[in-house]
Amino acid sequence: MRGVVAIAQNTVREVIRQRMVLVLALFGVGLVAASQVLSPLALGEGRKVVTDFGLAGSSLLATLLVVVLGSSLLHKELERRTIYAVMAKPIRRSEFLLGKFCGLWITAAALIAGMFAIVLGVVTVSYGETPWLVLGAMALTVLELGVITAIVVFFSSFTTPALTAFFAAATIVAGNFADDLLYFGSQGAAPWVARATEAVYWMLPHLTVFNARGAVVHGIAVAPERLAFAAAYGLLYLMALLIVAGAIFERREFR
Amino acid sequence: MSTIQDTAHRSGATALGGRGIHAVPTMPILSLEGLRKTYRDPMTLKPFTAVDEVTLELERGEIFGLLGPNGAGKTTTIKLLLGLARPTAGRVLLEGREPREPASRSKLGYLPENPCFYDHLTPLEYLDLTGALFGIAPAIRRRRASDLLERLGLGAHARKALRKFSKGMTQRVGLAQALMNEPRLLILDEPMSGLDPVGRSEVKALLREQRAAGVTVLMSSHVLAETEPICNRVGIMKQGRLVEVGTVSTLLQSGVREWEVAVEGMSDAVAAPFRAGGHDVERIGSRSVVRVRNGDSLQDVLRQMLQAGIHVHSVEPRRETLEEHFVRVLDGRTVARGGRS
Ligand SMILES: Nc1ncnc2c1ncn2[C@@H]1O[C@H](COP(=O)(O)OP(=O)(O)OP(=O)(O)O)[C@@H](O)[C@H]1O
Ligand SMILES: [Mg+2]
Repeated sequence: MRGVVAIAQNTVREVIRQRMVLVLALFGVGLVAASQVLSPLALGEGRKVVTDFGLAGSSLLATLLVVVLGSSLLHKELERRTIYAVMAKPIRRSEFLLGKFCGLWITAAALIAGMFAIVLGVVTVSYGETPWLVLGAMALTVLELGVITAIVVFFSSFTTPALTAFFAAATIVAGNFADDLLYFGSQGAAPWVARATEAVYWMLPHLTVFNARGAVVHGIAVAPERLAFAAAYGLLYLMALLIVAGAIFERREFR
Repeated sequence: MSTIQDTAHRSGATALGGRGIHAVPTMPILSLEGLRKTYRDPMTLKPFTAVDEVTLELERGEIFGLLGPNGAGKTTTIKLLLGLARPTAGRVLLEGREPREPASRSKLGYLPENPCFYDHLTPLEYLDLTGALFGIAPAIRRRRASDLLERLGLGAHARKALRKFSKGMTQRVGLAQALMNEPRLLILDEPMSGLDPVGRSEVKALLREQRAAGVTVLMSSHVLAETEPICNRVGIMKQGRLVEVGTVSTLLQSGVREWEVAVEGMSDAVAAPFRAGGHDVERIGSRSVVRVRNGDSLQDVLRQMLQAGIHVHSVEPRRETLEEHFVRVLDGRTVARGGRS
């Protein structure tokens, strides 16, 4: 387990030293600027616009970070052979993979927390009240990022960075439209098509479970039951992915 | 001496050989049995055997040099014994444990070939990560990291990003990380590569020091002049096979020895009978060097010289260097002892 912690720490450091702090700062500045520009146009809805815009933007940015940085994280180690010296230490390959996952997830979660804090700060300063409900949406977004990180780690355990990014993006998009897929699959198609789409539906990550960003903007709080369900679903989903990824990576041949 | 010969024999023979008879009571620190690795071309599926039936046992406290030309399979063998690659056949035991078990690597230090470490870290941070992976307490690993960096001449660069390191500096970091856990077994893939002459002699001193402390070392190399003075035993690999194993002195004794007799003022007429006797005569200014091919005729040659009143300046035995031996073995002109190729 100490191996996992060491690898996770190193991964956080690696990601952070890739000018990620800069992205965060730029985002904050951009948001402040945007909120000043947009709020007069929103006919008194400025507060909602800024919050909505901020939350959606934050989660998109964090998703991008995970997919873009995550897809090459493992491959870079194999390509540059930094992994050789690490794997000669008393650590399992699956622990290495888990460390990478934790490091990336922690970084993404920190990014989300930072950006949501900026949104809260901007809204508080501009409108004199703090939309605390946003914190429920944040917890769900962090869980969502865990699932997305696991998806990226899963694909990167056996394919190239480009394919990992592609498959991960496709899975994320499909995961957001899983319900539509089920609906179209059941519309008059052959029974086997319906069954196949249903199987795919259950396998896809149901990312809408984690999206309460729109709801909190309109003052609807995230219910504790929803949070509990999302946490259970998210953690089970990401653990299943990591177990498979670990098994693949254990068997993989290093060049 | 006899045990060395036995080991050499055993190494060449297959695992079926006299293992049972020769088995030593203590667990060998590293043993390879009939190790084979076959790669398949992903397109044509044509198999290629990079390591072929390698059997070897290291003795505790020895420095073993794994020699061979480019592509002989040295690095592949090392990757197999660290569990970085899986053998197609045969097996590896590190103090009785399979390399897949993480615990088998807790007292092992490894320097990869052309090492590469995390760009975003400083050597101090990298060594700290290494120490953490070995489960060394923070205070101890901090002290060890700075001691090792000092020892390897990187004290002034401890806080500089690894991205900015030269090849030789990276090699030194590689040695430092291999020593972080005070290993019992050191596996070094071309430890001298990229080092300047001072660095090489420092590494040699370091390896001797490790051996004195009871550490077993397996190092690969093709810089034979560097390997010869420090290795207790060497193994020569050729096309994936371990064709010869033995101590440097036993390997070289079997090679040709010659004596260089340097004489002063020898005319061509006087030199003629020596030439006729099959010895090379080379003239350098007023001095001549007669190369005598074997010990028996040396006595005759010297007697003749003294009778002819020639002033003998010096008589020097010239041992075959490991390098010459190596080239000869690889040319396939000698019948490899212990090997089967
Ligand atoms: N991953 C791989 N896939 C296919 N062939 C490989 C692979 N790794 C090594 N080989 C082949 O195995 C052979 C042995 O390679 P290896 O790297 O072990 O040689 P070496 O003795 O270390 O050489 P050098 O002295 O140049 O470092 C080479 O012919 C190489 O092409
Ligand atoms: Mg090599």
